[in-house]
Amino acid sequence: MNGTANTSQGVLPHAFLNLDTYPDSAAGAHGADGGAHPDWVTYGPTSNLSVPAHSLVTITIKQYDSGGTITNPYFAKVHGTVDGTMTVDGKTVTEADPDSVGHTFTLHALPTNQDPLFVSVPLPAEADDAPTAPGSDYPAPHVVTFSFITGGKGEYIWNCEYPCGDGYYAKFGGPMSTQGYMSGNLNVT
Amino acid sequence: MVSPEPAVDTVIGPKPRVEIRHVFWIWLALTVLLVLFSLWVPARLMGPPASPTMHAVESTMTVFSVAASPVAAIVWAIAIYSLLRWRSKGEPDRDGPPLRGNGPVTATWALLSTALCLVLLVWGLAEMTSVTSAAEASNPLVVNVTGQQWTWTFDYPGQGNVESDQLYLPLNRPVVFHVTSKDVIHSFWVVQMGIKVDANPGQTTKTSVTPDKLGTFDVRCAELCGLRHADMETSAHVVSTADFSSWLTQNGGHS
Amino acid sequence: MSTAVLDHPPIDEQAPTGGGVMRRLNVVTALVAGVVLGFIGWFVAHLLWQDGDHGSDQVVLVTLTCWAIGFMLGIGAFNGPLGWLRGRDLTHQDELFLAGKNQGVSRYFRFTTDHKVVGIQYLVVTMVLFAFGGTLAMLIRTNLISPNSHFLNPQTYNAVVGLHGLIMIIATIIMVTGPFGNFIMPIMIGARDMAFPRLNALSLWLIVAAIPVLLSAAFLGGIPTGWVGAAPLADQAPPGMDAYSMFIIIFAVSSAVAGANITTTVLTMRARGMSWNRTPIFVYGTVASVGLAIPAFPLFMASQVLLQVDRTQGGQFYVASGGGNPWLYANLFWLMGHPEVYVILIPAIAALMEITPVFSRKPLFSFNAAVISIAGIVGLSVMVWAHHMYASGWAPDLNGPFMLTTEMISVPTGLLFLVILGTMWRGRVWTALPMMATYAMLWNFIIGGITGIYLSDVPADYALHGSMFVTAHFHYTLMGAGLTGAIGALAYWFPKMTGRMLNARAGYISFWFVQIGFNITFMGMFAVGLAGQPRRVVTYAHLFAVGNFVSTIGAYLIGIGMLILLWAVVSSWRHGERAPANPWGAKTLEWTVPNPIPMENFTVLPIVTSDPYGYGEEADSTGPEFDRAADGSVREPAQVGAIGDSGHAPVVDSEVER
Repeated sequence: MNGTANTSQGVLPHAFLNLDTYPDSAAGAHGADGGAHPDWVTYGPTSNLSVPAHSLVTITIKQYDSGGTITNPYFAKVHGTVDGTMTVDGKTVTEADPDSVGHTFTLHALPTNQDPLFVSVPLPAEADDAPTAPGSDYPAPHVVTFSFITGGKGEYIWNCEYPCGDGYYAKFGGPMSTQGYMSGNLNVT
Repeated sequence: MVSPEPAVDTVIGPKPRVEIRHVFWIWLALTVLLVLFSLWVPARLMGPPASPTMHAVESTMTVFSVAASPVAAIVWAIAIYSLLRWRSKGEPDRDGPPLRGNGPVTATWALLSTALCLVLLVWGLAEMTSVTSAAEASNPLVVNVTGQQWTWTFDYPGQGNVESDQLYLPLNRPVVFHVTSKDVIHSFWVVQMGIKVDANPGQTTKTSVTPDKLGTFDVRCAELCGLRHADMETSAHVVSTADFSSWLTQNGGHS
Repeated sequence: MSTAVLDHPPIDEQAPTGGGVMRRLNVVTALVAGVVLGFIGWFVAHLLWQDGDHGSDQVVLVTLTCWAIGFMLGIGAFNGPLGWLRGRDLTHQDELFLAGKNQGVSRYFRFTTDHKVVGIQYLVVTMVLFAFGGTLAMLIRTNLISPNSHFLNPQTYNAVVGLHGLIMIIATIIMVTGPFGNFIMPIMIGARDMAFPRLNALSLWLIVAAIPVLLSAAFLGGIPTGWVGAAPLADQAPPGMDAYSMFIIIFAVSSAVAGANITTTVLTMRARGMSWNRTPIFVYGTVASVGLAIPAFPLFMASQVLLQVDRTQGGQFYVASGGGNPWLYANLFWLMGHPEVYVILIPAIAALMEITPVFSRKPLFSFNAAVISIAGIVGLSVMVWAHHMYASGWAPDLNGPFMLTTEMISVPTGLLFLVILGTMWRGRVWTALPMMATYAMLWNFIIGGITGIYLSDVPADYALHGSMFVTAHFHYTLMGAGLTGAIGALAYWFPKMTGRMLNARAGYISFWFVQIGFNITFMGMFAVGLAGQPRRVVTYAHLFAVGNFVSTIGAYLIGIGMLILLWAVVSSWRHGERAPANPWGAKTLEWTVPNPIPMENFTVLPIVTSDPYGYGEEADSTGPEFDRAADGSVREPAQVGAIGDSGHAPVVDSEVER
């Protein structure tokens, strides 16, 4: 948590979160060797997020992975953020190119009747031939930043809606269907 | 060995008639209780209906429960009476009467249950015709429903391809849903409207309804679809025609 | 477990000298061979395919196949065929050894052909499966005690739900025809063993080989599809799905083998004079069940073979984008899935129809109606499968016809109620535990049946399909009627199978815990289902909180009751009261053999002169007499008055063999 912010709902506490999306598990939360599935794509550094209630939450995601055409263009657009926008490498946009999406960060509620919250942000893909950044195993990331306002306390889940579980039917198995990789929890506390 | 009682059991005399009368009263009492239960409970548990379809389903639940009441009651009445009247303390010391069957009773039982079945079948067929009437309306609203792991999205092809992650429907206008899936099988269920159809990859299935109640209702996935199946829910908002038009306009569409 | 009870009396003291290599093979060698061959399979497959597209699935499939082959080799299942290849057949001494003659407890851990040994093995396997499945049920209900309990994470929850479902389905399929169909039924028809004793042992050991395969799914990512294994979710699932397929394939072979064996036995080995109208109704139920399984399970097996082509070879049978169709899976599965519920129900109800005359001291009411109803259910049950697919969109135009066939099945089912009620009518009702099970079934199955009629109605099914209402409905049928019937059968035949009486007091306590708990659990589930709670969800809306809490409390009562029953079974088996040969005063043939049962059941094969329901038709109605004639031959109970054949004097007849 870091100070306060002026929002459409008045002055609210302001919290920040940083996440990364990697094409493999080597840099994620699964250990230096990538754990049981070193080749699985993953979010990092953790998949269990916690943010304060009735606050402005700003999430910054560094996106290192390549991608392709998303199956449902609805998720190439930004939904549920403040002003319906996000910034990609400093540029404010409302959607990504549906043919070049790497992942999405899509947040929704459990069925347990807490305050509704639906946020979905596409993360643009790295080009397939993007050069590896100096001193890193990955290309220089796309930096995506977006903000949303939380309601009361409750539990939410997030997952990726760009099918990226290669090798599985509909690319939705493996990391997509396993908590801790492309899916996790968000607790509003 | 207990001394044998008079051999009334082998005589088909007045005694069975008394027993039949007793069973009849137990049956009547149970039937009344079960009918009252049928009238009050099942439809109430299903909640207030939000469409004529759900209304028909709740009537079916009530009617079927009422129709089943005398059947359950006769089974339980005989079972209860057998415990009250014919129970032997410990191992029986003699046999019951050698009744090997009763043709008229068996025939009546079979005929009555067949007739009851046919009545329920005719009821069901008539109900099927009535709930599909929304699909045959002249100017239905068409909504494309897309299921994917683990969200629903909706778009309105006749309204300028407005897209949404929540369902908005105008009051009292027939709606036809064209349902499909991007990946595995989901099942599109609008709980309070009583409609459900699977979302299959590579296929488009249809269901239809005419919402007749303002409010917010539940859209759930009714087919196990993986990790977040339980969370694959969204809301269906039934709004007035004017509100629906303005919602469409706000989202870049037209009514 | 007391060897004194399970041992046969020494007919001749000499242990058989045959057996050959079979003398060295038992469950330990089977485990070793299975693990070794499985490891070799894993090693080879690992080298060949590890990096391929479907590598892990191929490796798992090969490993599990090798395990199963190794296990069956190690138990000696292939020794017979291998011997024939070398031109050898079994000697009489070999057969005596295989039948487990004079071998004490060790014969329960070997490829033993005696149907009584196989029956006991099936009973233990069934109880082990119920223990696993029941524990998983407790985990599910504990998780659902509150809307978001965090007891299980969604991944574990889905895996637990899938395993619970499949384990319970398999356990309920074998729970009557396995233990009682193998142990009791051959004696009931006056046979010395099954028609194919080695196939009998094969069917049992295939299941034993398959259980570790199924349980391995828990360590291979689980079965995230529910027990139905619905494609294309099954195409996407982790390697646990390969274990599922392998399990189903092995189980289908086992059920085909068992089905062929039991039907042949009943068709060809009934005692002299046991015409079809003198054959006990339980025999009909058993044959109907395994006979129905013969066409049903190969379809399930086929569905899994296609799934494995998809998963390991890149096939597209269920992949719409590749020209396949998920409805193909749904059809194959439910073509098995609906007959399958009658595979479970018919023998359980038939056992209760066998019990009711004994404990009412009256003939079975309308034997012909009972037989015709069972036949009617069998016939109709293969024509109703698509009622599981009303909402799938597969063939909306067929919904009407399938509604017709589904609702018609309630007519023969209703007749079975009449048969039981008519048998009780003016009887001498002895409310021992087996009869209490009959009463519980009458209560539960009426509820299960009526809720089934709601679901057969197409528009009502649109509202209720996939909800907890369906879950409650089929638990009322499979558990409330099926498992209750199996518990009744266990209480009824326990004295014959173990030579000891089941502890009646513990049985009663267990009965009330289970039945009250059961009704609380699933009434709560009906309520939340009507209110709109989907099945197989790890979290749910607060609206459903009360109903789920009630369900969970009920489930704990069931759990306590089942533990009491387990204790009662184990303790009674070890040191229960010794049972007389015929403790219930029944008239079927299995009660004419002494306890413990000699290895070939009958020293003198019986000749049947009437059906076994002649209560109240004899001059002396205290039940059959049991004594031994001076020459040692068994005097059979007098059985008089077959249907339409009353008034003849009792005929006692016997035929001396060997």
